[in-house]
Amino acid sequence: MSNTNDKMPEQLTSIAEVEDARLARQEEKSKSQGRIVFERFIKHKPAMISSAVLVIITVVAFTSIGYGPLPGWWDKSYLAAGQVVDGGRPTMSLWPTWLGGSGFAIGEHPFGQDSIGKDYFALVMNGTQKSIIIGVVVGLVATFIGAVIGAVAGYFRGWVDEILMRMTDLFIVIPLLVLAAVLGQMAGASSGSIITLALVLGLVTWTGLARLVRGEVLSLREREYVAAAQAMGSRTGRVIFKHLLPNTIGVIVVNATFAIAGAILLESSLSFLGFGVQPPESSLGLLISQYQNAFTSRPWLFWWPGMIIVAIALSVNFLGDGLRDAFDPRQSSRPRRRKLSLLNRKG
Amino acid sequence: MSTEATENFALSFQDLKVTFETEARDVQAVKGLSLQVRPGEVVALVGESGSGKSVTSTAAMGLLPGNANITGEARVGNVNVVGLDKGKMRKMRATDIAMVFQEPMTALNPVLTVERQLTEALELHGIAYGKEATARAVELLTMVGIPQPEKRIKQYPHQFSGGQRQRIVIAMAISCDPKVIIADEPTTALDVTVQAEILDLMRELKDRLNTGILLITHNMGVVADMADRVAVMFQGNLVETGTVEQVLLKPEHEYTQRLLAAVPKLEQVALTTTGLAHDSMTAAKDRELVLTAKDLVLEYDMRGTKYRAVEGVSFDIAKGEVLGIVGESGSGKSTVAKAVLGLLPVAEGSLLVKGNNLPKLSPREAREVRKTIGVIFQDPAASLNPRFPIGDCITEPMVVHKVGNKASRTKRAQELLDAVKLPRNVINRYPHELSGGQRQRICIARALTLSPELLIADEPTSALDVSVQAVVLEMLQDLQRDFNFACLFVSHDLAVVDMLADSVVVMQNGKSVEQGRVKDVLHAPQHDYTRRLLAAAPVPDPHQQAVRRDAWRILNSQK
Amino acid sequence: MLKFILKRLGSALGVLLAASLLLYVLVINSGDPLADLRESNADNREYLMEQRIGYMELDQPWYARYWGWLSGASKCLIGQCDLGRNINGIEVSGLLANAAASTLRLVLLATIIAAILGIAIGVLTAVRQYSGLDYIVTFLTFLFFSLPVFWAAVLLKNYMAIEFNDWLVAPDISLTTSIVIGVVAGLVMQMLLAGSLKRRALTFVVTAAFVPLMLQYSLWLNFYRYPQMGPAVIVVLTALLALSVTAMSVGLKERRVLVPALITVVLVLGMYYATFNLMLDPNAWILVVGLILAVGIPAVIGKLMGGRLSKMAMGLAAVVGFTGASLTLIDHLFRAWPGFLQIKSRPISTIGSSTPNLQGGFWDHFLDNATQLLLPTILLAIISLASYSRYTRSSMLEVQQQDYIRTARSKGLAERTVIFRHAFRNALIPIATIAAFDFAGLIGGAVITETVFGWKGMGEMFTTGLNNVDPNPVMAFFLVTGSAAILFNLLADIVYALLDPRIRV
Repeated sequence: MSNTNDKMPEQLTSIAEVEDARLARQEEKSKSQGRIVFERFIKHKPAMISSAVLVIITVVAFTSIGYGPLPGWWDKSYLAAGQVVDGGRPTMSLWPTWLGGSGFAIGEHPFGQDSIGKDYFALVMNGTQKSIIIGVVVGLVATFIGAVIGAVAGYFRGWVDEILMRMTDLFIVIPLLVLAAVLGQMAGASSGSIITLALVLGLVTWTGLARLVRGEVLSLREREYVAAAQAMGSRTGRVIFKHLLPNTIGVIVVNATFAIAGAILLESSLSFLGFGVQPPESSLGLLISQYQNAFTSRPWLFWWPGMIIVAIALSVNFLGDGLRDAFDPRQSSRPRRRKLSLLNRKG
Repeated sequence: MSTEATENFALSFQDLKVTFETEARDVQAVKGLSLQVRPGEVVALVGESGSGKSVTSTAAMGLLPGNANITGEARVGNVNVVGLDKGKMRKMRATDIAMVFQEPMTALNPVLTVERQLTEALELHGIAYGKEATARAVELLTMVGIPQPEKRIKQYPHQFSGGQRQRIVIAMAISCDPKVIIADEPTTALDVTVQAEILDLMRELKDRLNTGILLITHNMGVVADMADRVAVMFQGNLVETGTVEQVLLKPEHEYTQRLLAAVPKLEQVALTTTGLAHDSMTAAKDRELVLTAKDLVLEYDMRGTKYRAVEGVSFDIAKGEVLGIVGESGSGKSTVAKAVLGLLPVAEGSLLVKGNNLPKLSPREAREVRKTIGVIFQDPAASLNPRFPIGDCITEPMVVHKVGNKASRTKRAQELLDAVKLPRNVINRYPHELSGGQRQRICIARALTLSPELLIADEPTSALDVSVQAVVLEMLQDLQRDFNFACLFVSHDLAVVDMLADSVVVMQNGKSVEQGRVKDVLHAPQHDYTRRLLAAAPVPDPHQQAVRRDAWRILNSQK
Repeated sequence: MLKFILKRLGSALGVLLAASLLLYVLVINSGDPLADLRESNADNREYLMEQRIGYMELDQPWYARYWGWLSGASKCLIGQCDLGRNINGIEVSGLLANAAASTLRLVLLATIIAAILGIAIGVLTAVRQYSGLDYIVTFLTFLFFSLPVFWAAVLLKNYMAIEFNDWLVAPDISLTTSIVIGVVAGLVMQMLLAGSLKRRALTFVVTAAFVPLMLQYSLWLNFYRYPQMGPAVIVVLTALLALSVTAMSVGLKERRVLVPALITVVLVLGMYYATFNLMLDPNAWILVVGLILAVGIPAVIGKLMGGRLSKMAMGLAAVVGFTGASLTLIDHLFRAWPGFLQIKSRPISTIGSSTPNLQGGFWDHFLDNATQLLLPTILLAIISLASYSRYTRSSMLEVQQQDYIRTARSKGLAERTVIFRHAFRNALIPIATIAAFDFAGLIGGAVITETVFGWKGMGEMFTTGLNNVDPNPVMAFFLVTGSAAILFNLLADIVYALLDPRIRV
């Protein structure tokens, strides 16, 4: 500061003055909580790699075979059967020639063909679309219901809270997979569309998030800024949506990602058991179910859908981990700078 | 200094420097500290937050985290513990150097019995085993004044009160006869009367065991009560050392002088003589009453069973007056504030704000009344929504009551920032970028946004450093003079109330034990409890404090 | 305490009742139970439909059907279960017994293994936060979280069963493979044991050299078809264990602990010969009683001789006794293995929960059950292990920041004591509540695993029942798994209360 009357903090003799001088001299731009979280997040390498993988898978899945009326750049359909070439073996090669491979090539059927000559790449991409749609829809539905019910239960306690806790107990008695299977069977019998399935799954997977939000709100509502808001006459809606929910955003976002991963796995399990996506629709779980016995004869029919499920679920989980570290760095899975410098000093 | 070097110190520091490596930059917490503690001597290390006093003590225990870089010497007896092998350091803990922590509620392991926690150090250091160790532990509990030690030793920490837990922590600290005990803010979390008891206990044990004590505290009263010598730290530097008389009565460094000046003091109090009965509260005739409580009863609902927190309390506050409510934890003083704020329903009695009985109002009318009440809470870390920029925090009451537009709200926020002496550009900053004292000033600004007629201040300065507290209190006084609002000031600190309030209510266990004008109640108390409270609150003058201590002992023995 | 448990039990039974109503209504509305018959061209179509309507009481309204089921099911309380008939008119109660036993065995075993290993791994990674081990375990747990159970099951079936069986016909490990295994084992060992760079290097070199040698030696012995151990190895191993645990806990100079441990070693040797003939064809009771004695007797010796260290001596002697007994058991398993291979040449099976019509003695049936259980258990355990280790890790990290941990350190306690006595018990408290949810998840997982491995268990009962819109088998599945979950939950509550005195007193 140019003001010559200002003493440097080092020469001051009162804490209040030191703090005020620091505040006045503070020049770096002010950062909101969201900004700080974002900056921490983009430094989280596994999460960034996972984001890239997810974006690539999503873009390829939706642009290659197109979605609905929109055409894609991949010329083969997942519905059309064709002639089986070379036993349906994949034509993709990623092994460069100088390592003794056959060079980089995509070929006619990069993922191979199934038993009636359908292009497996198109089939897998179709399944991937389904998985992503289901994951995202379930994630959104479950997060919305869970966050609202959790917040209401935590804020009002009383009977809403009681119902939430009994719902939670319900899932101890009826495993999630079992309830989802029954509902999936109902959804399949009534309409068979994957959106119905996704909505139904969303209706049974919100309890976990609701419990977490409830716990968070229970502790936040004791904070003094909430009491201050109530004391100045704020309406309940404002207190919940302006003061409580925004401060549980960390819990919500992190668990929404885990919910997406969980939903993708749940859908694939249901489809595998026959209670999820019904033929002629396809999904990754259904593909694995159809070709589980082809493992020894035509392994690619088994490997591709499985690898993609694992890739999506793993990426989403790492993304969630990165978000958790960003929102709550106390239990970070990565060391901060200090640990490294400790090692350096020993040398 | 050179002669002292040959002396046998219990604990001595020589040019101790501690630097923490953090994400952003290196922080120098202690910048070259030299200090000695003799056996049987209490040295107080005084300072405010960020002074490095706790880091110093933790360094002596060898308990600093991995990112701390330590140079210099910290000798326990004749052993320098800086850079000492971990195993050797472990053997010295408890037997040579022990520690008493600030938070008795969390310092004990909740899942182990007191017996286990006391005997494990004895067995570990080979002092006693099995039944012998238990017998020794019972003896220790007797020493620290836990009644029925044979029975209670089998219990878990949550079955003891805060003061008793601190006694147990002290018993642990003395269990292996250490050369020196570091007491890190040992009474800060306790009520004044409990604090006085714990200080008494520590003094007695020190004399009996001839242990050196390094007392870390921010409370000048505790220093005057306990210390033989005082060292003052500020921003990592030792600015002044000397005997307790020198430092507290004739401070040399500017920082010490200002720190002592900032401590609120109770004026001379007649503790033992019986004064005259106080005249009734309605002294002035033309008082414009803002808040009137009559036979107020407040209850908490603990899973169906009602628990009475306040019973039959009556008071009133007029425009331009400050009413202090004082009491210890559990006295119900904050509950009264909560009820006025509408955070707790009134069970019985009436609570009138400008003639409107709060419990009987419709929600709409209640909201209108809310508009005229401002509030400041205790914890500056929790009283601002971390997601709101400062400007939004300050103008929130205007948004809630739909007052003004964007421009006028910004203008109001700037005016208020001026009023609390903060630069206008903090309007776009976030709460986490401000210090505790600054945040509390923002809270004051927010409370004043709608020019309230009543301000509720619930322990507004008890989480702040002394000098920051002085700034905030002065600001409150100025603003109250300027805006002439009525103020309900809840505090555990009698000196603060004495300084600020016109009248006072002393509460104990939900009841008002004594109330009236401050100069009557606090300077010539009638009730025994008020006297005990007054006597227990230590003053930063060793001579006066010695007198008060004796008075407290007499009062306490009459209890 | 009792009041607390009864209260929990009461509310759990209420939830069970409500859940049964919900599930029943959902299942009977999930489709048309007559769908297949409506499309059939059979001559007796009408008759079959009539018959099925009769079996399933389709002519009744839903509440009457539910009431019928509920009153039948509540007779289970007096030991006369009537769970109705399935779609083909077969009594469900009759089908239940075998199915329930095999499924519950699978889920319980997986839970126990997952909980013990998961918690151990969680503690280890929390203590070694930010180490290579921590990173690898973190990655693996995320991988396990992301694995579709059925996909992993197929992989496991292929590699661990089919290919292992092929390999076992003529076991062979090439020199290169053994060296690679040795190097990997060395890397893992140095990570686990940690320490200074020098110590790590030593661990690595020793392991990397020792493992390939052992592999080749075992091949030379034809160990995989004719495994053997014998009393000498048992005694050496138990004695080494006795010495090392004593050295690690109190030091070898402490006779009061060392002597009971060594006496136990002698006892193990004696009992090996004394029980040799009995153990050639024992039964389950003998094994259970034997194991209890093997822990109990050394514990008593430890208590008598331990003096002021009696607790420590008891614990260590019991551990030595338990290890000795387990080794004896393994020795007998080894003896039975060649015979078992003769009646079941491809030991690791991929279909069913036991081999039908297996001829052989106790050990053969034991090995048969074990080999059938192996893969599904590994699968379920791995998945549940991931969540246990993750929760334990974060719980331990949370606890390690508490004030009372600092207090414990300030007493001069060793890091090991701080972690196990002070941190671990507190960290376990939240885990007890998670266990109940995990158990429910495992039952769901068991449904999938049983499908992949072709078990005729509860899972199969559920999937076929649901497929046929046949409520009675589904409800039978629910009754068993739901009750098991409630019992497990109750157990978790009791553990919770035992761990946390704030609830107990």
